[in-house]
Amino acid sequence: MARPHIEPFCDRDVHFKNMRLPGFSRGMGYKMLSLDADSGACSMTVQLDGGYHQPPGFSWSEREMIIVEGELKVGDQTCRKGHYFFIPAGYCMPAISTQQGCLVMMMYNTGEPSHEPSGEHHPLAQVDLYHSIDSYMDIPWAMGNLVKPSVAAGCLIKLLNFNPISHAMTFLYCMTPCFKQDNISYHDCAEESYHLWGTSWMMQFGDIPTGGYFWRPAYINHGAFASEYGCIALGRTDSKLFNHFHYNPWTTPKENQERAGARLYQRDPLLYKWALSYDHNHPHGPEDFEKTMQLRGNEQGHDNEHKSDGKRHDHWHGHDHQEDGSPHHHHHADGSHHHHHHDD
Amino acid sequence: MTFKNLFIEHELSPEIEAWIKEEVDEQELRYRAVSHDMDNLASMREKWYQEFFDRITTSGFNEDGDAKTPIKPEHLPVKPEGRNDQVIWKYGIDDE
Repeated sequence: MARPHIEPFCDRDVHFKNMRLPGFSRGMGYKMLSLDADSGACSMTVQLDGGYHQPPGFSWSEREMIIVEGELKVGDQTCRKGHYFFIPAGYCMPAISTQQGCLVMMMYNTGEPSHEPSGEHHPLAQVDLYHSIDSYMDIPWAMGNLVKPSVAAGCLIKLLNFNPISHAMTFLYCMTPCFKQDNISYHDCAEESYHLWGTSWMMQFGDIPTGGYFWRPAYINHGAFASEYGCIALGRTDSKLFNHFHYNPWTTPKENQERAGARLYQRDPLLYKWALSYDHNHPHGPEDFEKTMQLRGNEQGHDNEHKSDGKRHDHWHGHDHQEDGSPHHHHHADGSHHHHHHDD
Repeated sequence: MTFKNLFIEHELSPEIEAWIKEEVDEQELRYRAVSHDMDNLASMREKWYQEFFDRITTSGFNEDGDAKTPIKPEHLPVKPEGRNDQVIWKYGIDDE
């Protein structure tokens, strides 16, 4: 299970609900944009009332925030509209407060919204990953050709966060007035967008206005694209963004995925054949030696618990898939192997 | 699908589980409303598809960035017989 396809949805059409999860202070209203039914990971527009104050603490989930309207005081720093935060799970944030109230987009990436009052980081927090920036004032707009094939000129971006392992991205994008792009696109990743200001149009879904939102699973057609007066939006992908362009509006996600596979076969035939033929198509990927090799500073062993895909495994391994419920046969990096059951 | 980053294991209280369930139920209603609205847009979309075909056969199809290639009318796709004009796919490939 994952988040369902919500496109388009406008948060201006619904009212704020009071946040009543434990740990959060009074004066926090939210509009749910999308939610993962299994993990509780979600994206919300959040209204913090004037006078709101939250004591220092951390979340069990990795999260991102961007201030949409108003000012938010984070510790001693006053942050304005457009300020973006990437906050690793377990990272202890200072007290936050707002005098006049503010509107914030909050995204909990790996679990339900949570706030544990604390004066220090959780021992597992990847504290070095924390960063924050005034995205409106301190980053210039760049051409949108970060990936090839690329969007048309007039779609500009500001990269806010990039995961070097999964290539997941968070970025601001804008479309200049009279922007047009005449193709249909789909990606191998899920994509999310929230319109901070302005309206854009897509041929499948019509207009997305200010406050408009979508969460779109992989391989779903979208486009052609246009914006008459321009727009600015926050965009995210959950893994590498590749633009598969075409002009057939009637294809299904499965057909799109097969085409993506065909293109992989044409582009990287050796990798494609290897992945198919060696029983290494484990759902969480084959072994990455950079994660498992012995290091001179740690000759006793390697970190075999925390993996780049967010799953916790005892070891990287390839295995032979058998019938559901039957034991799996695992080959380990140290040459040993054994049988065990998988939950997933 | 996840963002593939760290999640710190912790216990979920019944209160939190009830909150997630309530939000999932509301999301289901939101999903149905969106899906219904998009089904109702089908006739408008038919017009948009035709306008798109008109544009890509004259001013061109955006191959990469601003590089545009006019598509020959005989290379335009034909709608498969019996296929609905579906644009909302609940879980993408898992919805088929």
